[in-house]
Amino acid sequence: MSLLSVRDLSTEFKSGDRWLEAVSDVAFDLQRGEILGLVGESGCGKSTIAYSVMRLLAHNARIRSGQVWLGDVNLAALDEQVLQDLRGRQISMIFQDPATALDPLFTVGHQVFETLQEHLDLEPAAARKRALELLRQLGIPAAEQRLNAYPYQFSGGMSQRIALAIAIACQPQVLIADEPTTALDVTIQAQILQLIRRLLVDEGGAGVLLITHDLGVVAQVCDRVAVMYAGKIVESGDVHSIFSNPLHPYTQALLNSLPSKGIARGRLENIQGQVPGLADRPAGCRFHPRCPQAKAVCREQAPPLKQVSARQEVACVLYD
Amino acid sequence: MSSTTEGQRPLLSAVGLSKYFPLETGLLASLRGDTATVKAVESVTLDVYAGQTLAVVGESGSGKSTLGRLLLRLLQPSAGQVLYQGQDIFSMKRAETRAFRRQAQIILQDPYASLNPRMRVDQIIREPLDIYGEGSKAERQKRVSDLLERVGLNRNHERAFPAELSGGQRQRVGIAAALALSPRIIIADEPTSSLDVSVQAQTLNLLSDLQRDLGLTYVFITHDLSVVQHISDRVAVMYLGKIVEEAPTETLFSEPKHPYTQVLFSAIPLPDPSRRMNWDLPKGEPPSPLNPPTGCHFHPRCPAAMSACSHTVPRFQSVGRDHGVACLLYDEEAGT
Repeated sequence: MSLLSVRDLSTEFKSGDRWLEAVSDVAFDLQRGEILGLVGESGCGKSTIAYSVMRLLAHNARIRSGQVWLGDVNLAALDEQVLQDLRGRQISMIFQDPATALDPLFTVGHQVFETLQEHLDLEPAAARKRALELLRQLGIPAAEQRLNAYPYQFSGGMSQRIALAIAIACQPQVLIADEPTTALDVTIQAQILQLIRRLLVDEGGAGVLLITHDLGVVAQVCDRVAVMYAGKIVESGDVHSIFSNPLHPYTQALLNSLPSKGIARGRLENIQGQVPGLADRPAGCRFHPRCPQAKAVCREQAPPLKQVSARQEVACVLYD
Repeated sequence: MSSTTEGQRPLLSAVGLSKYFPLETGLLASLRGDTATVKAVESVTLDVYAGQTLAVVGESGSGKSTLGRLLLRLLQPSAGQVLYQGQDIFSMKRAETRAFRRQAQIILQDPYASLNPRMRVDQIIREPLDIYGEGSKAERQKRVSDLLERVGLNRNHERAFPAELSGGQRQRVGIAAALALSPRIIIADEPTSSLDVSVQAQTLNLLSDLQRDLGLTYVFITHDLSVVQHISDRVAVMYLGKIVEEAPTETLFSEPKHPYTQVLFSAIPLPDPSRRMNWDLPKGEPPSPLNPPTGCHFHPRCPAAMSACSHTVPRFQSVGRDHGVACLLYDEEAGT
């Protein structure tokens, strides 16, 4: 059984007196011991999925339909009180900007103890011991002194380590990481990604949903990938298949637009036009107005995600 | 485009350029004799050749943006010179400075913050023309239309406010405004860092086209090495205010010499799952520029550090054609 199973999830935002769909009929599974990358450009709905799964949506947003199964519990329909107890214990989240994810008014030690005491009912001495252990595991130097420091005294990389310490304090089964290294320098990014892989996945057997716009990060740390465009998953599969044999024209275009080694000083391929806004997503396949291979049928029919090989699913009429 | 620089005179050069920011200013600090400074840029020497692109690469706090501002005289240096066609820009007279500013422009990172939200697109692009009194009103308006077309926008965008445009379109407006006075050199400070990859590709292609058609010279400031390889002829790598290595792009990518450059390359996540990085990363974080390590600034994190590195400041010296590095590993006289 999957750790996390999202089924037909649609989430919408209120704009004036209309509700606009940001995420449409999204489904995916996260397995034990894997990192699943959810990748796409700004506005494709990848963060909205994260907030929907955690039920941390803003007041102007709501899940319109669908289920989010954490084991045999449907988080989408769960009582807020019960959910509160699961968040941080069985499913945790870290965010893009580590500086704003921590409370500036409390020491980082307090913020780590709070999680431990709330969920594990530890004695203060035991909680302190566990907190120290966590900070050391996360490579924070002089951990004992650092417990008494405030978030402003930490660099971005150190703050993200603290946020990660809080997120994994109760050894959750699922971690949702929303652009966890986007605000960090590359050497620090590599350290944080390595920690996530080692502590959670390899040692803890947890599953990680890694949300990112960075295809390099996906290639380096993910086992499987789901590519999103305009609120839908257009392709998913194991990371090697997606990078060596991308099927959806959008995935192909995205990979071709990367300036990377081997294509020095040539023209980069780019995708004509722009990502449509929430209010003007086209009918049919949402990528058709920008797709170099669009046919007449693409204007009318929205293709469903279909299994095309043992390791790949794609939503495109070219593979019917 | 070639990176050969022999026999050419640089268009713009920095010579021993430094910028120190005082930590505390004011009466109290001066009474206390408080003179602690952040050495944002320290003794930087580099040359930029006409029609080429020099990339300046570094992580947060390396001083790369401060260097960019010094090159345009947007900041006064603590020491050193910037020579534009052989003339020091900091000792230029008013009229000379005005002439220099026509020829040297900047493109900024965040197209959301760098455009005035209350000005329409045509006003933003026309402003430099108005300030310099270029042509008649009709000619200026024509120039704005031409510039918009040049950067891939059209007449429909002329009366728009920045808020009505996407990030990529805003960056095009920033580029059009920088081009208005037909500059020779443009300092581009992380021009694509806030853009999605497909929009980044469009913007990089535009910058390449403009360079080819207008013979522009770029100083491209970035933290993104994959962009560097794509756009630049030469690369200077900065760490804590100093240039640690400089070389033609191909040389730097094929034979990085400085341990920091090597570390930086090994940490870039390549978009290729069949070539996964080895996770043998440097420990720790870049130290605070308030209190940089003695000797070589990189020595506490350096996998190849020797005992001399903690007290000897490495000289910047040649290790090959057009290739310089500041590291004791390549200095036969030092380290003894």
